[in-house]
Amino acid sequence: MAIKNEDKLKDVEAIQENFGSLDYICSLEIATAVFLAYHLEKPVLIEGPPGVGKTELAKTTADMLDLPCVRLQCYEGLDESKAIYEWKYGKQLLYTQVLKETLGEILDGAKGLSESVTKLHDFGDIFFSEEFLEPRPLLKALKEEESCVLLIDEVDKSDHEFESLLLEMLSDYQLSIPEIGTVKAHPEKKPLVFLTSNNTREISDALKRRCLHLYIPFPEADLEKQIVQARVPDIPPRLNDQLVAFIQELREMDLKKVPAISETIDWARTLILLHTESLDPDLVKQTLNVILKFQEDVETVHAELQGVTSRAIKAAPNA
Amino acid sequence: MSEMHDTLVDFVKVLRTADIKVSPAETLDAMQTLDIVGFEDRQFLKNSLSLVLSKNPEEKEAFEDCFDRYFTFDKFKPSESGEDSDSANDDHFDEDGDFDADSNQQSQQGGKGSGMGGGQGGGSEETEEMEALSPSSELGKLLLEGSRTDVMVQMAEAGREVEVNQIVVFTQKGLYTRKIMDAMGLKGLQEEIGELQDEGGRPQNQLAGRLKKARDQLREAVRDYVEKQFMLHADESGKQLREELLRKVKLSNLEKRNFKDVQEIVIKMAKKLIAIHSKRRKTFKRGQLDVRKTLRNNMQYDGALFDIKWKSQKVDRPKVMCICDVSGSVSNYSRFLLMFLYSLSEILPKVRSFAFSSDLGEVTRLFDQNNLEDAMAKTMRDYGNGSTDYGQMLEDFRRHCMKDVDSKTTIIILGDARNNYGNPKAEILREMYDKAQRVIWLNPEPKSSWTVGDAEMKKYAPCCHQTEVCNSLTHLERVVTNLLRVAR
Repeated sequence: MAIKNEDKLKDVEAIQENFGSLDYICSLEIATAVFLAYHLEKPVLIEGPPGVGKTELAKTTADMLDLPCVRLQCYEGLDESKAIYEWKYGKQLLYTQVLKETLGEILDGAKGLSESVTKLHDFGDIFFSEEFLEPRPLLKALKEEESCVLLIDEVDKSDHEFESLLLEMLSDYQLSIPEIGTVKAHPEKKPLVFLTSNNTREISDALKRRCLHLYIPFPEADLEKQIVQARVPDIPPRLNDQLVAFIQELREMDLKKVPAISETIDWARTLILLHTESLDPDLVKQTLNVILKFQEDVETVHAELQGVTSRAIKAAPNA
Repeated sequence: MSEMHDTLVDFVKVLRTADIKVSPAETLDAMQTLDIVGFEDRQFLKNSLSLVLSKNPEEKEAFEDCFDRYFTFDKFKPSESGEDSDSANDDHFDEDGDFDADSNQQSQQGGKGSGMGGGQGGGSEETEEMEALSPSSELGKLLLEGSRTDVMVQMAEAGREVEVNQIVVFTQKGLYTRKIMDAMGLKGLQEEIGELQDEGGRPQNQLAGRLKKARDQLREAVRDYVEKQFMLHADESGKQLREELLRKVKLSNLEKRNFKDVQEIVIKMAKKLIAIHSKRRKTFKRGQLDVRKTLRNNMQYDGALFDIKWKSQKVDRPKVMCICDVSGSVSNYSRFLLMFLYSLSEILPKVRSFAFSSDLGEVTRLFDQNNLEDAMAKTMRDYGNGSTDYGQMLEDFRRHCMKDVDSKTTIIILGDARNNYGNPKAEILREMYDKAQRVIWLNPEPKSSWTVGDAEMKKYAPCCHQTEVCNSLTHLERVVTNLLRVAR
């Protein structure tokens, strides 16, 4: 393949660096996935808990390569008319009206029924043609001149049938439209496809087989610190250490929804707004609702707040 | 490269025994990946193959484990003498590079250490003499002159030749070690050592000594290699064997300690069935205008839209009612049937379960709220171990549940139909037979004893669409598969 800014994908280190310059700090596995996705021309299926940056990865890749990002958000009931293409029915109706009016001219001089049918055939039919085709995200991605990044978000939310619809696209980068034929991506400019899934249901083997499978877990403490530093540059390093230590400990607790990276970042921003230099239990109590999204969780954490906070403060050496 | 591909195929086989599903297409992908990635950087290769071959978090974990165990070639210690200079030593290590399991540094240290040990403590003048004499047998040459990688490659090839991956029990380890040594040309080496010793002479003896040492080290390495192969292949195939057996064994003969394994198998079977059947289930949906269909259909009416088409999909959800005899004699069977049905909840959304010895009770709620273990225990406590009364059960069923039975319901009854000579009340079963889509009777006893003693199968059987012997997991699987096929 040959796409714009190809050199940015030349090896794993380069990818990691380029992501870094766009404030997306990623592990080696993630960079490897992007590298292989491009060189093997395969889609990447990204799984992992919510808020670890699955969608962000696709968007950042698009940014990095300076390609458009075509996004398809999946939901129950999504079907081909919303994902692949739709006919412009209004215009088609108008077209039949126009056709009716000119019918006299076309059939002028025809003798007998069979002759007029032949004439009608010769006239050509554009009722089902690209003129009346309304491309939806998948088709749009294939037709993109300069290639693109296609993000199929939360594919687990869609129906089984839709998964089968995707198979042709994912393995051959083509789509079949019964009335017209097959639309293929330019062989040198296939889109880079990312699928994300929150694993609310098992994705079928057929789909998995066609994809590289990337699992993004919650990051290790060091990586998370880097991420917070990149996303919230104003944060003092000591607060960052405490914050991450605190969050990492929360993830060990039995919570309904453990805080993800996006919550860590939100919290960091909140604390900056409050001009915080260091964590203390009261402050944590007041801002807990930024990282915890269930009242039960908040109550669970309240009980152990003192201990967790003091451990987090201890974890960070005094500046 | 093709050798690497062979290795990869072997590796895939190992992955499969470790329960990672790898399709041939994925194997091809992996080869392509290998071509792009190369194998200089171990971590990079591991990450890459993990992306291609393992497709969920559990598989990824298993993959890591397999990768580490499979690509371990660090145990062989080269027997170059100390004079063979460090640089040469380093070269060897660079060749096999990071492909070794442990960090490069570690193996390097090990290698150097043994290199020193292998040195015969002689001076450089000896070296010159020795260099004048070089081993003539193939294996000897390989051992003394080839690099560590060469030796490993040879060993792996010999291993493939004697099909070491067929190893099943640990007593075969010695046998395979011998076989591999032979395949690598041990005989030639032995002869050479013998000849050298016969000739006498100092350089000859020197060389013989070195060869012997190398041979012993090689044997050690081969033994290690076989050990690893055993761990990789036999361990898993042992498990497969066990599973195979458990599937066939009568459920009533299962021992408590096997329950966990069986439960695993049940869940696995259920998953398989779900994978086969779930894709075809459709949900009902109506209320969306299907513009395309409408237009198509009304074209013939001059484009006036009066025959409106709606988007609709077929409704197709089987209702299953499962009645289990939990009196002592058959409780084991019902346990597994219920387990099976519950594992299938993804494709059988409406399973209602009943348990009885004499009085019928619904345990659906119980199963929803508790995990299997507890639910089973509670069911047994509440309903188990009474004397069996099928008549009473049918009576209860008619009173409470008959109204819910319709033409989409499948009723499964599991029991031995031993009624203690009570009134069988087969007419109620007939009524169920008429109303329901299917009535299936699963009987754990062999067919020959269905009519012996107090068994009422003769009366019940005509009122069932299907009667089956069911006393092992394989039976269960077949029954449930059939059920799904029909229910769909």
